[in-house]
Amino acid sequence: MGAPLVLDNVQSLPFIGPELTLGAGILLLLVWELVAHGARKRVGLLAIMFATLGAAGAQAAFALAHDAPAVSLFGGLLASDGFAHVFRVLFAFVTAVVALYAAPVRADDALPGKRSTGEMYLLLLTVALGLSFMAMSRHLLMIYLSIEIVSVISFVLAAFSIDDKKSSEGALKYVIYGGVASGIMLYGMSWLYGATQSLALPEIGARVAAMSAAQHGVPPVVFLATVCMLAGFGYKISAAPFHMWTPDVYEGAPTPVTAFLSVGPKAAGFAVLVRFFAEALRATGSLHASPWPLVAGVLAMLTMTVGNLSAIGQDNVKRMLAYSSIAHAGYMLLGFAVFSTTGTAAIVFYALTYCLMNLGAFLVVLALAEQNGGDESVGAFRGLGTRAPVLAACMAVFLFSLTGLPPFAGFVGKFYLFAALVRGGGNFTWLVATVGVLNSVVSLFYYARVLRSMYLTPAGASDAPVVVARRHTATAIALAVPTVALGVYWAPLYDLVARTVGMVP
Amino acid sequence: MIPLEHYLYVAGALFAIGTLGFVVRRNLLVQLMSLELLLNAVNLTLVAFNRQHQDDHTGQLFAFFVIAVAAAEAAVGLAIVLALYRLRRSVRSDEATLLKN
Amino acid sequence: MAVDLTLVSFFALAALTLVSGAVVAFSRNIIHATVALLGCFLGIAGLYVQLSADFLAAVQVLVYVGGTLTLILFAVMLTARIEDVRTSNTSTGLPVGVALVAALLLVLGKVATTTAWPETPRAPMPSTAKLGHALLGDYLLPFELGSILLLAAMIGAVVLARRAVKRNWEKA
Repeated sequence: MGAPLVLDNVQSLPFIGPELTLGAGILLLLVWELVAHGARKRVGLLAIMFATLGAAGAQAAFALAHDAPAVSLFGGLLASDGFAHVFRVLFAFVTAVVALYAAPVRADDALPGKRSTGEMYLLLLTVALGLSFMAMSRHLLMIYLSIEIVSVISFVLAAFSIDDKKSSEGALKYVIYGGVASGIMLYGMSWLYGATQSLALPEIGARVAAMSAAQHGVPPVVFLATVCMLAGFGYKISAAPFHMWTPDVYEGAPTPVTAFLSVGPKAAGFAVLVRFFAEALRATGSLHASPWPLVAGVLAMLTMTVGNLSAIGQDNVKRMLAYSSIAHAGYMLLGFAVFSTTGTAAIVFYALTYCLMNLGAFLVVLALAEQNGGDESVGAFRGLGTRAPVLAACMAVFLFSLTGLPPFAGFVGKFYLFAALVRGGGNFTWLVATVGVLNSVVSLFYYARVLRSMYLTPAGASDAPVVVARRHTATAIALAVPTVALGVYWAPLYDLVARTVGMVP
Repeated sequence: MIPLEHYLYVAGALFAIGTLGFVVRRNLLVQLMSLELLLNAVNLTLVAFNRQHQDDHTGQLFAFFVIAVAAAEAAVGLAIVLALYRLRRSVRSDEATLLKN
Repeated sequence: MAVDLTLVSFFALAALTLVSGAVVAFSRNIIHATVALLGCFLGIAGLYVQLSADFLAAVQVLVYVGGTLTLILFAVMLTARIEDVRTSNTSTGLPVGVALVAALLLVLGKVATTTAWPETPRAPMPSTAKLGHALLGDYLLPFELGSILLLAAMIGAVVLARRAVKRNWEKA
């Protein structure tokens, strides 16, 4: 496709409506948190939060539905295209679901010693803003800034539990590893800047292509810089070997935050990675033209295997889901081993389904732990099939979908990923695909443990029926229904994704 | 005029020192300080490369943002260190073991 | 033969930066490490001046030395009790770390020497005005985004710090 229209600062403003809305919501929450008190405060917080997210999501969805032409904003800093719109809608949706999880139940939630929901909402909106900009960035400076907004505020969110050493400890590991990852990523960016004399992805792409053509292969400096940058991106999507922080942070953080971190930053990391591979590296699936398919394939195999094998022995379901989220990052990395349009579409489609099922699984853990005095072990799920049938059924849907069994959304996502690999041909893609299938089989073991505990282990004598908050049941159903529906009738969503991915140059 | 490579060597050496300090030390505050060394090495690289441009200052601009973000990161990081220290009375990262497998 | 003053000052600044950097990373006394960080920041600021990045040199001194370093110093004072200042810094995993970094340096040196960098560095010129125009022109959006980041980080730091104080108060 041709070069998109480049707009200046003032002309660009109408195109970042969702982000401006989020910014206004942040300021409103800040003021409301200071001036309001009592029950009115709680209602106001919820109203501001959901109105902001609703308006932001609706604007992005409108642009998506109307096939707004791709434009380049702020003199080439951002891209406003279908690919970005899909992710902006997704982030607004994810943030709204998480806000619903974390919503204050009673008016006395703001007493000393309880966490303040207003502050959490404000920080959540800031992360959502950063995520949107990540999906739109086509300039290294914007990529760095938006990643840092997401990271720095995530550190605070991870440390949000009061009097919980695990929360502070996990957050600290997050800060330390995050700092190193962004340091290494920046070093890579600085070398890429030195080699190509530009920070804008399209210009970098042109220079890298020219250098590669002159040297009959990717120049070592570009390779080194990209590997350094992959450390930073790999940290955000928790790909091995940059995943060490994931289990600790996910286990220590408050569950709504964990659910958010496991889907939002991960999906945004993939959005950045897709754009970087497509625009700056002009990656293809050919193993002869560039080393990128090999690098991505090896990373994918490593990530899947590490995630799945570590998940097997976990007794804490939150920690098990943390390892499983590493494994899912590996599945999505498979798409980079064949960087074709079908491969990219498969990555994005999988990211969407992964958000649904993973959010749902964490929601069930949260709903249960809230009734259990914080017990998150596999044993806490015993007899759930009779104690809370609806919740257990939803959890079963999410777990089957995460395993990748038909007829659930996870199966369709995996099917497209493997289909893209097989279509890519070649021995290496076959190897990668085989490892992926084997990993799916392994993952069945640990998901099945939870299923067995829910349906085959009888409830103990002391186990009363679980009374689940109505909003938790409603949200679990709201996430389970599309997980099933997309497993049966996925064509419209896949077509939409395939169409928008084609718009990335 | 000093050649570009000289600056790259200094930055590379500083980056190596920072990485080494991060890997071998177990004091959280020293690890955070080593992070600052890494970021300074990055900034020196950016500014050095920027000099090869005839009339463009994006490298320096990037370094400016890195400094600003580093300040924010340090503020949040140290707030968490303080919170954890109040709970545990230790700033050694190998004593933060509540979350080990 | 006249001594090249630029070269002398470059080596002096480089030595200051690297030696204080090494003290930061390897000193067993955390107070020494923190003070050495000052030398490292100042050395880098000097190198910025040599590279005719005058504005950045000023920002380096103001933000790093005036802000970040003070913050770290406070954290050191608040967390390290005087008696365990000397023992709180033990190091482990030295051989692995050295091997890792040696490999890194080798690769970097190889790439730096084999890559044909664009030649002809520009003549020294002041950069403050250019950066100001860029920040309020082409790069207005990152500038605003940076301010959102700083605002949110400030709120976050306050939220966490206030929690800590509340905890102490609850214990009492």
